[in-house]
Amino acid sequence: MKRRSVLLGGAALALTGLTSVGRGPAQAADTTAGRLSIWLGYGETAPAFKAALPAFKALYPNVEVELLSFDLHEYEAKLSVAVPTGNGPDILTLHDYIFPHYYDGDALDDVPADLAKVVDDPKIIDPVFKDVCSRDGKPWGVPWWKGSRAFFYNVDHFKEAGLDGPPKTLKEMWDYSEKLTKKAPDGTITRAGITLRLTEGSGGLQKFSDHYYASTGHQILEAGPKPGTVRVTLKDKDNLEAGTKLLLDYVAHLHGPKKVDDWALKHDTQGFANGLASMLFREDWAVAFIRKNGPDVKFATAPLPRDKAWGNFHLVEILSVNKTSKMKKPAWDLIRLLQEQQYLDIVLQQSGWVPLRMDRDFSAFLSKNPEYKAFLEPTPGYQAYLEPPNVAYVEATARTGDVILAGFRDASLLDNPEGAKAVLFKAYDTAANILKRSGIFAP
Amino acid sequence: MSDVILPPQPSSLPARLARGWARMKRNHIGFVICALGPVLALFVVIRIYPIAETIRLSFYDYHITRRSNPFVGLGNYAYLFEDGPFHEALVNTILFSMLAVVATLLLALACAILLRSIEKAAPIYELLFYIPVVTPWVPASVIWKWIFDPTFGALNYALSFFGVARLGWLQDPTLILFALVAVSVWKMVGYFVVIFGVGLRAIPEELLEAADLDGATAWRKLTRIVLPLMRPIILFSVVTCTIINFNVFAPVYVLTASSQGAPAYDFKVLVGEIYSNGFVYYHMGYAGAQCVVLLLFVMSLLIVQFLAFREKK
Repeated sequence: MKRRSVLLGGAALALTGLTSVGRGPAQAADTTAGRLSIWLGYGETAPAFKAALPAFKALYPNVEVELLSFDLHEYEAKLSVAVPTGNGPDILTLHDYIFPHYYDGDALDDVPADLAKVVDDPKIIDPVFKDVCSRDGKPWGVPWWKGSRAFFYNVDHFKEAGLDGPPKTLKEMWDYSEKLTKKAPDGTITRAGITLRLTEGSGGLQKFSDHYYASTGHQILEAGPKPGTVRVTLKDKDNLEAGTKLLLDYVAHLHGPKKVDDWALKHDTQGFANGLASMLFREDWAVAFIRKNGPDVKFATAPLPRDKAWGNFHLVEILSVNKTSKMKKPAWDLIRLLQEQQYLDIVLQQSGWVPLRMDRDFSAFLSKNPEYKAFLEPTPGYQAYLEPPNVAYVEATARTGDVILAGFRDASLLDNPEGAKAVLFKAYDTAANILKRSGIFAP
Repeated sequence: MSDVILPPQPSSLPARLARGWARMKRNHIGFVICALGPVLALFVVIRIYPIAETIRLSFYDYHITRRSNPFVGLGNYAYLFEDGPFHEALVNTILFSMLAVVATLLLALACAILLRSIEKAAPIYELLFYIPVVTPWVPASVIWKWIFDPTFGALNYALSFFGVARLGWLQDPTLILFALVAVSVWKMVGYFVVIFGVGLRAIPEELLEAADLDGATAWRKLTRIVLPLMRPIILFSVVTCTIINFNVFAPVYVLTASSQGAPAYDFKVLVGEIYSNGFVYYHMGYAGAQCVVLLLFVMSLLIVQFLAFREKK
């Protein structure tokens, strides 16, 4: 999900005359003057902001807009330093997992009543996404788009292996991966049946968690009984058994005769886009990436495989306004504009992230881009879930992921349930200690 | 005739300035303060104050986005003893630094000695060696990332001609150490070739000629004449190289950062841990404690190096 780009826009964007802004902000030009600053961690959504600027300039001809986008982690670091000192941007684009820092830090402006009404309307915004940015019964931002994971598969590889369609269960996923793997005569894997996430703690844990959720019906980190607290589910009796089996499955398919993936093979989305892997599970952005970097790769998407449960992790981008901003009204008006169909279309087309407004229509986009089927089409029984928002999310997932990923590398865990359990206990302790240190651990 | 006593005349401005300048020259302390004062003030603001502030923060549970940041005394330092990733980063940094310092300086010394035998062409080679030094870390690391690519990288391709199987240079927890050392050596060796070159040129030719007349071997000339005379240069090089490598961050960050889902093994180094704790996990106080430990560690190493390489009277 990392992006490395620095875009500078706004100042040079031409005023193209009065533009109708539909049912959003007030129509009369405002005399407010100054600079409205926007920073993005997901630079691929910048085109939507840029597209909305002429309409915004029609409302605020004297307001200059500065639009900067950064690598995601750099953005988070920059924001964390700037906002508490009153130097941050006017519009805060917050992912659900960093949102609690800014709510707890009293950095967010009140959402205007009309926008709050939109967020609270279950016909417009799914309550799952409203809850992530609401505290004490009121929203502190407008959920804008969501990212979710889907199952990507190489259609040609599947045909070649005689497989009709994507795996529906975890068991099928492992079976298919064995059939799809190609090896050189010396045993070296030349094509991974499935490219697993084997590096980078946080990302590794998230992808392992997809399968953990399917196996157990629980997330590894879940909301605790008290608001803001988090519990670790790895030691729950049923989860421990299912988690152990899952870890053993991973190890069995990374070492030994059933091996379907290798660290020394081009990995993840790049591996899939290069035809070096037959299956992948990734977020929406991967569609555009694979199209661009692997134009010859014929692929399709499907919901993630199920087991005991069937669901899909989501991340959410929230638009809030900095409490210390001197441009609050223009900022909220721009956020209003960004709810319009034309700008949401741009978000979807340019980035692949799916806008959260259920009262908007994206069917035309889907008919032209069938690869987005698994992301756009609602699937009955397919549960959407989010990480429990908490201040220790990034650290807890990164450090716990390190433990799980070290387990993947450990060939001694092959057919070794006790060893696998020990890894899960260590992962539990790691997560619990971090949560305790932040004072949000729920036993 | 009576003496006429004139009232004291107010001296002219140039005369006053000249007297002031003369006084200042007599008073060395005042001169030094005026000359160095602005620089020292800048140094205090840019260097000393942040260090002092970092030390102060290390005694607080300072969290950037939180309103309450309580004093925790030595709590952050105590946590260092139970922080597994910090221990891993410390060990990795020590290993990386040892290998990188030794490899860089030995290679640089060897190159500098070889270049001395081709005195006329030496500057051209020194220039070539120096190109990586002036190349910024980030683009250099990106190029190395391509070279180390397990599937399409030039290194694995070249090794395949010798029957070496595909290696995950940046994905294997052991290999990544050597990959990072290779990048560091490539980047810094040119700098020390130039430094050693200057040191070698300063050795009086007569000494080496006298040794030749006495029948000294090349090895004896190196160990008995060249290296002892270059002791100050070697001390400078060891100190500089150690500091650079202990503070390694950019190449590790770029080489191991996730790039559209194809990241490498998360090789932890001290500065990377400080960055993560401070700017990713927002534990600024704890990151401050790690900074203090890094500072003390590097300073201790430097003291040891100074003692080891000091001139024997």
